[in-house]
Amino acid sequence: MRKRTLKRGLSAFWWLTLVFLYLPLAVVVLFSFNAANSAASMTGLSLRWYHQLFANDQIMSAFGNTLVLALTSSLIALVIGCLIGYGMYRHRHRKLGWLIVLIYLPIVLPDIVFGISEMAFFVKVNELTGLLGPGLGTMIIAHVTFQIPFVALIVYSRFVGLDPSLFEAAKDLYASPFKRVVHFMLPTIKPALISAFFLSFTLSVDDFVISFFTSGPESATLPIYIWGAIKKGVSPEINAIATLMIAAVALAALASLVVNRRKA
Amino acid sequence: MTDTAVLGRSQGMVREARHLLFTVTPGAAWIIVFLVLPSAYLMGVAFMTNGPYGLPQMPLSLDSFKQLAGFGFLGWSPGNLYTLLRSLWQTLVATGLVVIVAYPIAYYITTCRAKWRPIMLLLVVVPSWTNQVIRTFGWMNLLAPGTPLSSVAESLGLIAPNMGLYPSNFAVTLGLVYNFLPFMVLPLYAAFEKLDTAQVEAAQDLYATPVKAFWHAVFPQTLPGLLAGIVLVAIPAFGMYVIPELLGGGKALMLGNLVANQFSGGSNWPLGAAGAILMLLATFAGLYAMRRIGKRLGGGEEVVI
Repeated sequence: MRKRTLKRGLSAFWWLTLVFLYLPLAVVVLFSFNAANSAASMTGLSLRWYHQLFANDQIMSAFGNTLVLALTSSLIALVIGCLIGYGMYRHRHRKLGWLIVLIYLPIVLPDIVFGISEMAFFVKVNELTGLLGPGLGTMIIAHVTFQIPFVALIVYSRFVGLDPSLFEAAKDLYASPFKRVVHFMLPTIKPALISAFFLSFTLSVDDFVISFFTSGPESATLPIYIWGAIKKGVSPEINAIATLMIAAVALAALASLVVNRRKA
Repeated sequence: MTDTAVLGRSQGMVREARHLLFTVTPGAAWIIVFLVLPSAYLMGVAFMTNGPYGLPQMPLSLDSFKQLAGFGFLGWSPGNLYTLLRSLWQTLVATGLVVIVAYPIAYYITTCRAKWRPIMLLLVVVPSWTNQVIRTFGWMNLLAPGTPLSSVAESLGLIAPNMGLYPSNFAVTLGLVYNFLPFMVLPLYAAFEKLDTAQVEAAQDLYATPVKAFWHAVFPQTLPGLLAGIVLVAIPAFGMYVIPELLGGGKALMLGNLVANQFSGGSNWPLGAAGAILMLLATFAGLYAMRRIGKRLGGGEEVVI
């Protein structure tokens, strides 16, 4: 009897929490279709903010920057992180404490400290050598830095989950290390590589603070553009961009659900 | 051991060492050059003097730390101290609230049918996949003056007329709780999933009240998850920048804003760097404390995030 009331209470709390979690997103989506230029009242439905969005060069270039940044940084981080993940696995019997500390550093460092460190450093290097002026290049460097640990840890845990005798078998099967990598290693860790790439991509698109401090005048990404627009005074276009980004996340969530279903 | 075997072994060792060098060097060098060096430089900046354009200059001094403690040109002012205390307070309150919400949610998910659990976890996590700026903007829309939520709060007499729930300290707390809830639900769920229910049943058989049963049979078992959650919530919350900046409206600044403003406005890099050092110290102290607590209460190994 008491158990049933408890269960019912918990269920109600669960639904309330879901409302709490999705309400802010729902409001953004709703107001993106608002006919009026207001953040407080809906007057009717319209697509005018979406039309304005696609006509806005700044937004389109921010969109392009976001994609270029996420793709390039994820690919670089994938290669470097994969190598270091494999190195950690192969040499796991050695004392690699310093390496673990190094890998966790980008994860535990507060965003803001991360961002301003990079910014101060890039400014100094630029002053001394003329290299690394703020722009997409510095942003890519910064993003790769926080993506490497995640790739490394995912790849590492995939290797740890493998049967060690597989490596022996591969050694017997393929004489050259190159063939071993192409025919055994890469195919076996493919799922880890795919999820590491998607995680890196998401982390890059999600990031605001580190991008903000390493960006240059020409390299604003969508989050930076939105930030600026909010600071200047709310423009309803923001709702439309934000809605498109929320839709992308919803699609990614659905995709991950389908992939997990297929695995199960 | 024959000579050839020794030779073979040392060759193998050389190969292994070369292998280690080849795989680990690019990543390690990347993090050292692009993160360790910059952080070290930033720490150095904290001990330099503020130049005319907010850029660091020689000579070395401790001015920035004095300024952080509130000593300026016009004597001592409590502004920075308030900001520090506010950061601590917001972190404590938000973490506490997150724990209170996350416990029942994590428990509830484990009581549901196995096939629903991944979907429920996904539902909790998905909002945090959207950009932080967008999520916070959503709350700005919800809490602004004239919105239904603000009107309700107004009619209840909680806020002054036409003030709105945002910008305020309350909005910042709410934003923090919203932002960090998934980071507490996930580790707690993992802990609840491994829960040994025999202990709970034993407690009930011995006529323990639900509170006592929870405290003695459930809580210790979920402690590793809770500690991991606190690390994941409290540390980033303490250095939060976006949420206080957007939802606090300048009246609810936290340490992250104090630091960032010294750099984005170009006003005082050494002061910002001193704030960053404080944040780093808090981060490492927090990590250390959690590990100590975790070890003392058992299950310390699982607290490693």
